[in-house]
Amino acid sequence: MPVLLELRGVTAGYGAGEVLHGVDLTLDQGEVLCLIGPNGAGKSTVLRVVSGLLRTGRGRVLLRGEPLDRLSPRERLLRGIVQVPQERSLFPAMTVWDNLLMGGYLLDGTRSGRREVRRRADALAERFPLLAERRRASAGSLSGGEQKQVELARALLLEPALMLLDEPSIGLEPRARRAVFDTVGALAADGRTILLVEQNARSGLAAADRGAVLESGRVRLTGSGAELLADPRVARLYLGAGGEPQAQQPDPHSRER
Amino acid sequence: MHETIQAIILGLLTGGVYALMASGQTLIFGVLKVVNLAQGALVILAAYLSSSLFVSFGIDPFLTVPIVAPALFLLGAAVQWCLLRPLHRSDASQLSLLVTFAVALGIEGVLTLVYKSDYRTIQPSYANRSWTVAGYRIGEVRLAACLLSLAVLGALALLLGRTRFGRAVRATVQNPTAARLLGVEGDRVAALGYGLGAATAAAAGAVYGMVYSFNPNSHYDLISRLLSIVVLGGLGSLGGTVVAALAMGVVSALVGALISPVWSDFSFFVVLLAVLLVRPQGLFGARLRGAL
Repeated sequence: MPVLLELRGVTAGYGAGEVLHGVDLTLDQGEVLCLIGPNGAGKSTVLRVVSGLLRTGRGRVLLRGEPLDRLSPRERLLRGIVQVPQERSLFPAMTVWDNLLMGGYLLDGTRSGRREVRRRADALAERFPLLAERRRASAGSLSGGEQKQVELARALLLEPALMLLDEPSIGLEPRARRAVFDTVGALAADGRTILLVEQNARSGLAAADRGAVLESGRVRLTGSGAELLADPRVARLYLGAGGEPQAQQPDPHSRER
Repeated sequence: MHETIQAIILGLLTGGVYALMASGQTLIFGVLKVVNLAQGALVILAAYLSSSLFVSFGIDPFLTVPIVAPALFLLGAAVQWCLLRPLHRSDASQLSLLVTFAVALGIEGVLTLVYKSDYRTIQPSYANRSWTVAGYRIGEVRLAACLLSLAVLGALALLLGRTRFGRAVRATVQNPTAARLLGVEGDRVAALGYGLGAATAAAAGAVYGMVYSFNPNSHYDLISRLLSIVVLGGLGSLGGTVVAALAMGVVSALVGALISPVWSDFSFFVVLLAVLLVRPQGLFGARLRGAL
């Protein structure tokens, strides 16, 4: 499979503080890569650098070999990079349906674009029954799990080349968390390219083709999910930096692919 | 009883004009999270421009609105783009207070230089005419002003509710980061939002100049009222702003008619304090927060 995304020695940070100290990472077309690591390792920062919310310091971010570093989030979106952020990202006072349509904001400036957005929205409503059932409900009235499903559906409206999912299961109750990983699995089966960040290492790696362990702003290990879960260094990294025990605990919701 | 109803009518008509002025303020606060201290000065600037067009070219004050509004739209968008946009995100809300106050002082200075500080009013032939309906007097200018306000507010509601730009504005108000991730250009929306807020000041300015006498310092009095209305309505709620403006108008008029005109202005702030004691979030603050 050709390489879709490549990070070469990327540094980035907030203000004077550098969070990423030279991240190297590649992601093949159609691959799901799960980025794990302790709190503060810079996992979300990697996603923000790729989506353009945060500027790259040194190094380069390439999509199909084309450098992205000077492009705005909007221009990256036009190239097919969609990010679902960790925090809730629906517009709470808008209806579920309007939230979904906002996913096609870039396209709906023209009449034909609007038609296309509606066609895609209808198709997504068949895939995500929630969208049709709660169509007119205000997004703020949905449960956390339902909101995440709408966010994932909305991200699909642009038919993205690359999806960046930042801790999609965080703060959700077990059933909703399972639903999120089921959706990620279904997207992977569709051949979507996904860069997934997960605190819940077991579930994240189970849903991914490959994993990468980030620690203190650098990629320390890469490998298949099973390799990483069996690697004693992963456990040590997790327990060493801030005592994140999730990698150690058996997760009842994990699935092997 | 007659006096009370007459006061309520006057209050509603006056409140309609304040609703227009304050809706621009609310829009700007909603989109930019900026308390725009220049809104009063923009209204007074518009009143002067309208007055000049009327005096020099004989253009009816109401017809000056389509001329003055685009000019203020551009001025507002420029203020946002050149002065507010460069502010660093972390301290933007405090610094923007100073910046918009500086803009207000700048406008006041220019107006004083050009027009001097004498009071003036815009006096078209129908300025003092009124209709009598069922024994109640309704000033032509005030009624037309109120209707203009309603029309502009209606247009604003349609713009926000039905258009692509409106969706971008509402999205930005409710979740700026998410809006940006979906391709909404936050800076552009902010500039257009500020421009639109300033343009509503233009419509209000022409009307203000016909109803009240004004000089370049009048914006201090105006901004304190506008801020009271916006806070009373629940910061960032357009519907709340309109209700608050009408309530303020009626209370002021009633106090003026039934107690004494001296207490009329003061009552404005008493109502604000009383409401905030009971509902610190303003009339519609909690229910419609973020909805605009």
